[in-house]
Amino acid sequence: MNDFAAFNYERPLIMHIDLNSCFATVEQQARPMLRGKPVAIVNRRTDTTAIVTASYEAKVLGVKVGMKLRDAKILCPDIIGLESDPPKYRYVYHRLLDIMKDYSAHVTMKSIDEGIIDFHDSPTAISGRDLEDIGREIKQRLKDEIGVWMRCNVGIATNRFLAKTAAGLHKPDGLDVITPANIREVLATMKLTDLTGIAGRNEKRLNSVGIFTPLEFLDADPVTLQKVVFKSVVGMWWYKRLRGWEVDDVSTEIKRVGRQYVLESFSLSHDEIVQRLHHLCESVGSRMRSQNKSARGIYVYAKTLERGYWHSSSLSQLPFCSDQTIFVLAKQLFENAPTGLKEIGIHCYELESIENDQMSFFNDQIVRERQVTDAIDGINKRFGERTIHAANTLETGIYVKQKIPFGSTRYL
Amino acid sequence: MNDETFLNEQVEVIAIFGHGHEPCRLLRFKRANGREVEVKELGLRHPFNSGNKTLHIFDVTDGGADYRLEFDSERLIWHLTMEADHYE
Repeated sequence: MNDFAAFNYERPLIMHIDLNSCFATVEQQARPMLRGKPVAIVNRRTDTTAIVTASYEAKVLGVKVGMKLRDAKILCPDIIGLESDPPKYRYVYHRLLDIMKDYSAHVTMKSIDEGIIDFHDSPTAISGRDLEDIGREIKQRLKDEIGVWMRCNVGIATNRFLAKTAAGLHKPDGLDVITPANIREVLATMKLTDLTGIAGRNEKRLNSVGIFTPLEFLDADPVTLQKVVFKSVVGMWWYKRLRGWEVDDVSTEIKRVGRQYVLESFSLSHDEIVQRLHHLCESVGSRMRSQNKSARGIYVYAKTLERGYWHSSSLSQLPFCSDQTIFVLAKQLFENAPTGLKEIGIHCYELESIENDQMSFFNDQIVRERQVTDAIDGINKRFGERTIHAANTLETGIYVKQKIPFGSTRYL
Repeated sequence: MNDETFLNEQVEVIAIFGHGHEPCRLLRFKRANGREVEVKELGLRHPFNSGNKTLHIFDVTDGGADYRLEFDSERLIWHLTMEADHYE
């Protein structure tokens, strides 16, 4: 019998807070006339754009995230399409973070609309309180400090996975606790794909050994999960996760920095596409330097209208971080790109800290480039983004706008 | 479908600066054409940094339309930058 066969019976001290339909809710908060109406947030207001967030009123009518606005209008002709407004969402993110930090020094934001409070090392005055009371207090503070339309889901459990699961039980304004006493009851109401981390491929793996429900998943033995289903330590992680043991408290390191762009028109010339690629390079360079990173690898890709995927990459001996170098390398790779493009993207990888750069024989040139880049960054920081940028991207700013990255909170 | 009009209209605003969660409460504003709009509710106030300069953006409603007002904290002037009054 392994050490984790039993459930984790410690007091639940992990709280997951989730602002569901975050961007739509924030827009409805900001603009009272939108409240109670179906709203879809898109990154560009065209019929072919995909919905980033839909309000609850739209979701009730069948509108889903990722659906094209054109298709959503068929389901819901009155849907109001709004272009995303990142500064507004960033502000709400920081207000939520401030509220959460009032309860613990151990707060982790998982994305712009969800975060975790770990109460393990909180002062007794806080951790001694009923966590459900704290959850209700946070809900009220959101309304008082941001606005009356703000709602959040709160989940409490002994680990991050079950806390997130609890937060998803009664959307849009739930507060639930998962403990060993009710976990079977909770899992009995769910499908396998309702579990975070179980999508198509993992579902098939589980189905292949006769696991079709979360309860069967819970009852599966660790050897089967590890040796047969996941064929790695991931199986054991799932075994522990479902029993309330923490396995997800790991910090991730930045591995690559990238951006992609769906072309605003599918009839752009090669030069016009390269201009947009240049804009992406400037954006990636700026993001990379904001994390004090330089890269050695560059990866460029494109998706075609015929659902084709093209990519090309190169690895340099010396690290680089200037917009100019990124663009020169990306442009070289992009010369072999196919025609009929729908989407382009670029990633920089093999990242290293800028301070750790090894000096090279080409020191003068690198130092000069770094100084110019620092000067440009300084001016842009003082006078606003894109105060100085390449002349080639003068006309691309109205198309390639800065949007909110889902998942990572590094750039918020 | 949403019907937003984007503007850059300097407006006169009557506001009360106080404290608490709503340190700047907008009461009414006067548009360039002389029309006065009474603010019924402040939806959200958020700062917008453009380099070292901070603009404070106020999304408000008069009960019939939503408006976006921007306060330039450096020049102490207000602009009406968006009006959305038709959602049907």
